[in-house]
Amino acid sequence: MIRFVLLTCVSLLLVMSASGCTDFIEPNQLAFVLGSAIDHAEDGTIEMSYQIVIPSLQGGPSKGESSGDSAPFFVMSAKGKDVFEATQKIQLKMSRRLLTSHRVLIAISEEFFNKNDASKLFDKLSRDPANNLRDIIIMIKGGSAKEFLMIKHPLEQLSSIAAGKELDINGLKGFSSRELIIDSLSRGIRPLMPIIQIEDKKLSGKKTSPIAALSGFAVLNDRLKVKGLLDNNEGSAAIWMQGKGTFQGVTMPWKNGQGTLSFRLTRLERKLRSAPGNDPGHIVLMVKAQAYLLENTTPLDMSEVKNMLEVQKHINEQIQKDLQLTMDKIRQWGPDVFGIGEFLHRQYPYWWKSQKDDWDEKFKTIDVTVKANVRLRSTGTSGAPLE
Amino acid sequence: MSTVSSRIEVNEAYLREQFHNCSDIVFRSFQLQDDTKLLLVCFDGMTKLQGVEENVLKPLIFNGLPQGIDRIQSLEEIFGREWLPLTKVKTDVSLKDLTNHILQGSLAILVDGEASALVAQLQGFETRGIQEPRKEATLRGSKEGFVENLRTNTTLIRRRIIHPQLKIESYTVGKYTQTEVILAYIQGLAEEKVLGEVREKLGKIELDGVIDSAYIEEWIENNSFSIFSQIQNTERPDIVTAGLLEGKAAILVNGTPFALILPVTLWSGLQSADDYFERFIFVILTRMIRYIMTFVSFALPALYVALSTFHPEMIPSYLMIGIATARESSPFPTVIEVLIMMFVFDGLQEAGVHLPNQLGPVVSIIGALVIGQAAVEAGIISTPIIIVISLTGIASYTIPRYSATLPFRLIRYLLLFITGVLGFVGFAFGMIFLLIHLVMQESFGTPFLSPVAPFDGKRIKDLFIRYPFWSKNGRTKKGSP
Repeated sequence: MIRFVLLTCVSLLLVMSASGCTDFIEPNQLAFVLGSAIDHAEDGTIEMSYQIVIPSLQGGPSKGESSGDSAPFFVMSAKGKDVFEATQKIQLKMSRRLLTSHRVLIAISEEFFNKNDASKLFDKLSRDPANNLRDIIIMIKGGSAKEFLMIKHPLEQLSSIAAGKELDINGLKGFSSRELIIDSLSRGIRPLMPIIQIEDKKLSGKKTSPIAALSGFAVLNDRLKVKGLLDNNEGSAAIWMQGKGTFQGVTMPWKNGQGTLSFRLTRLERKLRSAPGNDPGHIVLMVKAQAYLLENTTPLDMSEVKNMLEVQKHINEQIQKDLQLTMDKIRQWGPDVFGIGEFLHRQYPYWWKSQKDDWDEKFKTIDVTVKANVRLRSTGTSGAPLE
Repeated sequence: MSTVSSRIEVNEAYLREQFHNCSDIVFRSFQLQDDTKLLLVCFDGMTKLQGVEENVLKPLIFNGLPQGIDRIQSLEEIFGREWLPLTKVKTDVSLKDLTNHILQGSLAILVDGEASALVAQLQGFETRGIQEPRKEATLRGSKEGFVENLRTNTTLIRRRIIHPQLKIESYTVGKYTQTEVILAYIQGLAEEKVLGEVREKLGKIELDGVIDSAYIEEWIENNSFSIFSQIQNTERPDIVTAGLLEGKAAILVNGTPFALILPVTLWSGLQSADDYFERFIFVILTRMIRYIMTFVSFALPALYVALSTFHPEMIPSYLMIGIATARESSPFPTVIEVLIMMFVFDGLQEAGVHLPNQLGPVVSIIGALVIGQAAVEAGIISTPIIIVISLTGIASYTIPRYSATLPFRLIRYLLLFITGVLGFVGFAFGMIFLLIHLVMQESFGTPFLSPVAPFDGKRIKDLFIRYPFWSKNGRTKKGSP
């Protein structure tokens, strides 16, 4: 019995290995794609670009920094009718198999959003199991997405890694392709997409080099058309109200223009509530946070309780005002990036049935009031401003 | 010619013929004052000659027979009246037994006119002293280890369990070696079923010689074709004592310091004596480390191959690029590379076991420089694989018993083969086969994976967490059961 089992095992192993019946692929037969770019091309096609790592130019500990000028990556691009065709064309030109599972980021140019139906793009993303859906999706302004991939970052080795880290370190999580697909497929929420702007910046000495930096957010509707752009401040306000942010900094002027106060806000939370009277048309959006005073250029002595209470009241008023402005701005555009539709769906299912079609138009008529509840947790280590 | 004759010449002739060409045999015949002929037979070096002189020759020759007594009627009478100052004596009638006793180092005293011989157990030969067991060193606990002499070993146990229920049964195994094998157990604690099975199997052994307890082990174990040993071996009396107290049986064999303990489970190979000597909270950590490292020791090379060549998307992105960078110029597939390194590592290990102590550093230098550094710098072997193999090697040394590491060394290769062909599917297959094998295995009626499978809530207390001793058998702190 044992002999029989052993014999079958061994012969199976031998047969399978002798016939080459394995599908392993060595790491040096793989091309690691860390970033993809999608650009508009003429005659109804799209241009795909892949940012591929060159492993031999990655600074290994033993090799030292011998690469010098040559960047540790290259960009391959091709045009095709859809994502797969373009990828296939790139694959034909490559010596290694493209592995998109480690992709950090997908960059899509603004032009593409304006001239194509971007929602068709994401079928491949959600259908093909080889996509990890963790990659961040961003919009590129001021240039093509392909250009963005080619930019060298002064700190990171690849621009896509840089952009990914930039969002991550600033507390902007939840912009992965998975979230985007969920947001665009849900009926009561619309996606918000970070915008990366390519600018020429003087980084050191006389050299001016292009650099990609976060410059705001795009509000998309359910067909993934850009409805409006938010700058960085409005963007962080929108993210807070969306419930995705984790922390942010805020600077506000003190009453009658006597200097400014800067805070770091943590534990950002938001809660939706229907207004008293159970009217679906009136919604209260509560935001909560803890504030830490980090800079104070006003004459206030923060060691006094009276001042602290006053400052706390001031933050709440100010934040309420700012958020309400952003809210109203987005509401005029139509796309409901806050998921208020989802809330109403759960709260008033019958009402929602009649409203869900053309929610973008209906959302404009919903009255959303923002209420802030920010607690001042710390005033820093010094009391009165230094004279 | 099976019994001792009353004529001493006949007996002498027989013994001389039996011990023909044995240059170390000693025949010493002499007469007492009343012309009674006596013959002493023993092996030179096996018998304490000083004892023979002091206890036998002197009283017989110089003192003669005590005055006023007639010619002795029988040998037994001499000892019945305690004329010879000896503790262990017996009379033998069978010549075969007599020969055996002489071979074991006893002194035979034959008297003319007596149809029996007297055997005085005056064995005295050089033995090794009790030393600290080097292979199973512990940080705390007894420093005594078993030696080659069986009697010394039984005393080491006797001294630890001072109770009449400690039973020590003796068996003789081996056609030529006539090795004494001892079955020790505590009556009332050990299971009678297990003992019966062991007794039966011990009786069935047909061997020319027993060189080590391993010979006995292979004869009595349940499944010789398993890669896991179903009997634990140890040279520590404290481990044997602990085993006996847990209701296990121990087998001691003359001529080897390695005692056998049975029945055992897979886990007992992964537990160290130190686990019971250190504070139990700390033991939780060391046991966890040991269990995880055991898994690492047989699964890591296979896992590395499966992850890096079959499922590169499962490795975190930056790590995968790091691995790809290191493997950029490797000429061999990962499986082959891992296989080569595992082979080299096991070769080094095997060399290290057989090397004379003085040559030890040479192997470490060659191993570290040639294989570690040069192979990587030449680009033949990539660094991640060196890390994987070293980690695997270190992990296998966390298993406290050497013989428990051997199955895992074998599984490492088997898993690597099947994973190299089938990837993670193969790894899963391998693990399932391994588990099926382990679950089917048993050691003298005890399932090999118990108390995990079948689950035993009481005994599992000593598996992952060693509970404090007072909580073990359901006792309270106050000591009442």
